[in-house]
Amino acid sequence: MGFIMEGLDAEAYDRTYSDGHLIKRIIGYFKPKLPLMITITILIVFNAGLDTAFPLLVSNSIDTLSSTHAFQTAVIIVGFILCSSVLSWTCNLFRQRFTARSVGDVVLHLRKDAFTAVMSRDMSFFDEFSSGKIVSRVTSDTESFATVVTLTLNLLSQVLLYVLIVVVLFFRNYQLALMTLTIMPAIIGVALGFRVVARRFTRRAQRSLARVNSNVQEIVSGITIAKNFRQEQNMYDEFKQINAQSYYVNLRSGFLYNGIFPVLVFIANIGTTIIVYFGGHSVLGGVISAGEWFLFVQSLSLLWQPLTSIASFWSQFQLGLAASERVFALLDAEPRIQQTGHETVGQIKGEITFKQLLFSYDQRQTVLKDFSLTIKAGETIAFVGHTGAGKSSIGKLISRFYEFQGGKILIDGRDIRTLDLAQYHARLGIVPQSPFLFSGTVADNIRYARPTATDAEVYAIAQQIGNGDWIEALPEGLETLVGETGRSLSMGQRQLVALARVLLQDPAILIMDEATASVDPLTEAQIQEGLDVILKQRTAIVIAHRLSTIKHANRIIVLDGGRIAEEGSHEDLMRRGGHYSDLYNTYFRHQSPDYKPGEGFIPVRDPNMQAPSTR
Amino acid sequence: MLAKREFTVANTYHYNWSSPMRWIISHLLQYRFLFLGFALLCIVNNIFAASTSLFIGRAFDAVLQKNTALQQLGMITLAMLIVITMQGCCDLGARLTAEMLSKRFARDAREELYTNLLGKSQTFHNRQRVGDIMARASNDMTQLSDMMSPGIDTIMDSFSSLFMSVLFIGLLNPQLLLVPILYVIVFLVALRFYARQLGPVAVNLREEFGQTNAVLTESVNGIEVVKATAQEPQEIHKFVTRASRYRDFYVQNGKIHGRYLPTLLLGIALALAFLHGLYLYSHHEISLGMLVTFMSLMTYLRYVTYMSTWSFSLLRLGVAGAERIISLLKEETELDANMGGHKEEMRGDVVFEHVTFSYGSTPILKDISFHARPGQTIAIVGQTGAGKSTLTKLVNRIYDVDTGRVLIDGVDVRDWDMDALRSQISTIEQDVFLFSRTIAENISYGLGSKADQSAIEVAARDAQADEFIQSFPQGYETEIGERGVTLSGGQRQRLAIARALLTDPRILVLDDSTSAIDSATEDEIQKAIHRILEGRTTLLITPRISQIRWADSILVLRKGELIDQGSHEELLARCETYRRIFSHYDAALPASVGGVEHD
Ligand SMILES: Nc1ncnc2c1ncn2[C@@H]1O[C@H](COP(=O)(O)OP(=O)(O)O)[C@@H](O)[C@H]1O
Ligand SMILES: Nc1ncnc2c1ncn2[C@@H]1O[C@H](COP(=O)(O)OP(=O)(O)O)[C@@H](O)[C@H]1O
Ligand SMILES: [Mg+2]
Repeated sequence: MGFIMEGLDAEAYDRTYSDGHLIKRIIGYFKPKLPLMITITILIVFNAGLDTAFPLLVSNSIDTLSSTHAFQTAVIIVGFILCSSVLSWTCNLFRQRFTARSVGDVVLHLRKDAFTAVMSRDMSFFDEFSSGKIVSRVTSDTESFATVVTLTLNLLSQVLLYVLIVVVLFFRNYQLALMTLTIMPAIIGVALGFRVVARRFTRRAQRSLARVNSNVQEIVSGITIAKNFRQEQNMYDEFKQINAQSYYVNLRSGFLYNGIFPVLVFIANIGTTIIVYFGGHSVLGGVISAGEWFLFVQSLSLLWQPLTSIASFWSQFQLGLAASERVFALLDAEPRIQQTGHETVGQIKGEITFKQLLFSYDQRQTVLKDFSLTIKAGETIAFVGHTGAGKSSIGKLISRFYEFQGGKILIDGRDIRTLDLAQYHARLGIVPQSPFLFSGTVADNIRYARPTATDAEVYAIAQQIGNGDWIEALPEGLETLVGETGRSLSMGQRQLVALARVLLQDPAILIMDEATASVDPLTEAQIQEGLDVILKQRTAIVIAHRLSTIKHANRIIVLDGGRIAEEGSHEDLMRRGGHYSDLYNTYFRHQSPDYKPGEGFIPVRDPNMQAPSTR
Repeated sequence: MLAKREFTVANTYHYNWSSPMRWIISHLLQYRFLFLGFALLCIVNNIFAASTSLFIGRAFDAVLQKNTALQQLGMITLAMLIVITMQGCCDLGARLTAEMLSKRFARDAREELYTNLLGKSQTFHNRQRVGDIMARASNDMTQLSDMMSPGIDTIMDSFSSLFMSVLFIGLLNPQLLLVPILYVIVFLVALRFYARQLGPVAVNLREEFGQTNAVLTESVNGIEVVKATAQEPQEIHKFVTRASRYRDFYVQNGKIHGRYLPTLLLGIALALAFLHGLYLYSHHEISLGMLVTFMSLMTYLRYVTYMSTWSFSLLRLGVAGAERIISLLKEETELDANMGGHKEEMRGDVVFEHVTFSYGSTPILKDISFHARPGQTIAIVGQTGAGKSTLTKLVNRIYDVDTGRVLIDGVDVRDWDMDALRSQISTIEQDVFLFSRTIAENISYGLGSKADQSAIEVAARDAQADEFIQSFPQGYETEIGERGVTLSGGQRQRLAIARALLTDPRILVLDDSTSAIDSATEDEIQKAIHRILEGRTTLLITPRISQIRWADSILVLRKGELIDQGSHEELLARCETYRRIFSHYDAALPASVGGVEHD
């Protein structure tokens, strides 16, 4: 059966907590609800008391009936039954309300905590774990948590009912009471054995379900690729297999969970039979009255019900505990980024210093080794180099998205580890390589970093980018809906929105990671003029492949395999004739209309492009 | 005929989508024998269960009569043992069949939804929010399975128990039926009322859950922006607003549970039944034993009464989930797979005839006509948002034209078999998407499992990806994170190029596919593409002038209109827009390299 369980492993940040620890934390969440919880408990006790009353009353009246014919007392008893059921219903009404309120609040609280925890994780967390799994911890697992709590409350009432009945029975006749308890060991034994197996089965079932879900998520987000390559059949075949696995695993755990009830009921029925037989004997022997015997038989059905539900409760309880374990693991996951302080950031000038920095994302490779560099305040610095050289990584380190392993990063001479990150980020603007937009309008997205900005401000910023030509191309101008992730805009438009978003934020340090790579050169040239003005007043880090973008920088750094190969201004570097001039020349050679890709340089025409060719 | 679909699976079972209830029933009917067995087992189980009450009453009567009591008691106990054993077996059988039905239902519904999503058009997928679809596909599905077991399972079991109890009371003495029958009527009315109240709340609960999930998914996917702009509070606020609405409905749901009337009615019914029983007993219509049996049969009504609060709530939630799933299934989609359509090896002759296209109401492409002969390279230039990418998406029929025609080898793309059409056209998209699998699996994606390792490596070398892949300790078996987050932009693009090259397409669409790649590397890639795609038709969107220059024909787009087409020289001579665009396409050749000859 090995293959069936394939791929059902734990996540790296999962940890195991003891049941005691979990329960303690769950209770912690209910602390603020103490008065409500106490009321609920009182209601439960009351409810349980009323539920016990019924068989007692009936058996009493039967006793009276078999001895005398006092119809009157019977009627009074009927009155009692009526009253107790009305009371019991009212108790339940309030209990349900209060329970829903407190559980609803606690789940909300937990969700908020979980979400806040997710938001405060660093980027390496999101690289490592798929978004689907993170999401399901925040929404689905917290829901299972709610189930546990409701169940626990129900369990409480069941246990009380059970204890009350047992006490009454003992008062009535301890011999028969002991007899009813004879089957207890069997029930407890089954329940305990079940608990051990259930835990294992539950984990597997939940993981296989998670696997199915991440498979669905993959196709939903990658549907365009599946369509382009016409791979629907393959995706389907793969899904079918995973779905079948999930079916088997879940069926097995379902059999276990649902099969336990009949077994427990069967044991309970044997108990009833024992009481019928031996109880009958006792009545015949004159040890007990017929009424008492009836009481026992009647109470039994009441007695078994809580007993079986206590047993089966374990299964649900395990499900819930497993869920809360996952939520707590999420809350407790150690962030890789460790801030040593939370100093206020205030206005920053924007001087950035790297000191012998050592950085790698994972074991796969070291990205930066012994990297030292000072970026002066107000400077525009450009990084060039092959892809994978580590350019974006430098931007991500300045943004403090990842933890570095050695060396130091100083911002205005202060260690980046001591700054308050939220304040720091507010002074930092990043236009990422792949622009992400939130669903909503273009204007909403431009306003994202500064939600208080007025429409006029938003419009002014949008106009500033390439004279606002790009807005005209949008079907509904700034009110165009961008769709989730921005997919209803062209890539270039998304980059322009991302750029506008950062400009409105007005940061002290600006990082532009191939910010205009998908924008056509004409538009880019239009943007460039405005951009030059904007960049003058702040520290800017520009990463680009188009050298026309880079020429404007004060200083150019050529990166090669995580090391600085060369640095200087455009003119310096060209004069030096090293890496950069090579890069520049090949680049322009490749950009030349007279260059045929792959075949070489074919100087057939006048290099002056503006003049129409005269052939 | 069913709705149009881009992808279908042979021999699928067709379910009824006309209403959530019908859909659920049609799923259950697929296993009608299993369901029948389940129903029978439930009934038999309850016959046995109710008859134990009869035995208890008998035992009571026997003991009261005293003379032959001991012997009778033994017989009765023996009979009871047999009955409870049989009942245990039926009970177990019923529970296990219910479980099978429930899990099969979930499995089939998942599969149905999955194939359906695969078959939906791109237009549909553009509209959807991933988080909401996921909530439907995972949580609403679980809700469905819970609806069957324990939901419907409990309903069946408790209602057959109700039926049996009433039946046995009738057998005991028809006069005793008075209170139970009255109760059953009132109970059913109250239950109906309860279920009606639950309905809208259940729908809202599921809907809010989906919305919460969607908000959350979006925040997680956009985490880089959230962090970079320090907008965590805004996201938390958005999320909490949604989650609070969910909480409100949850509380409302709890209130309805609390107002559940049947438990009160049952108390009254029990009192009345007892009174009635006493009355009949005092008139010697029934024995004391019968009274005892009657009362214990009456207590069986507790089960159905108490369980229905919960089982009907599960049922309503399941139906609400089903409604959300069907609404997704039913969404119309524009394209279909056109199985049995034109199917041939492509030559690569592409013709656009007066094509107009819009995503919504604003036309994006207006009256576009051009002709690409087999083996030609067509470059498309224009400003951002001019409609370049959109134009290429009409070729492999990701979208259908509004008016006009797109012909490939003289056949309208709408008449091509979709399999044949799309598998012979490869696109290297602007917005690279990689799956969170190994590098090798990503490159071989277009061929499914058919690709062999050496072919994958050749494609990777051509795309200049081999070097960086080899530098990873696990090489081609390196797992890349979701959407390839653990790679740099240029590395991602090179994998996408390798992926497209491996499929050996007849028509290749290159949509600005090297924007994050440095020019030297790109040159190498171009060389490979030229070699591999010798004689293949290529649609090319790029800012690189050197590539545009050598295209056989260049289309100039402006705001969705094709304002001119021709060769580089022709356009330079006559097209003002082209000159304008062109002057910025990383223009002037530095004199210093003017004479340098390379390669
Ligand atoms: N999130 C990540 N996790 C692990 N490795 C990464 C991650 N991002 C980038 N890398 C690796 O780090 C190296 C440098 O990447 P990057 O800085 O993005 O390069 P570029 O110079 O193209 O911007 C690449 O080899 C890439 O595979
Ligand atoms: N999926 C979509 N839904 C709605 N509008 C879209 C969609 N994709 C693109 N558009 C709009 O169509 C226009 C052309 O986009 P596109 O073809 O991607 O431009 P580009 O020429 O930059 O490739 C843009 O204005 C864009 O906003
Ligand atoms: Mg485009």
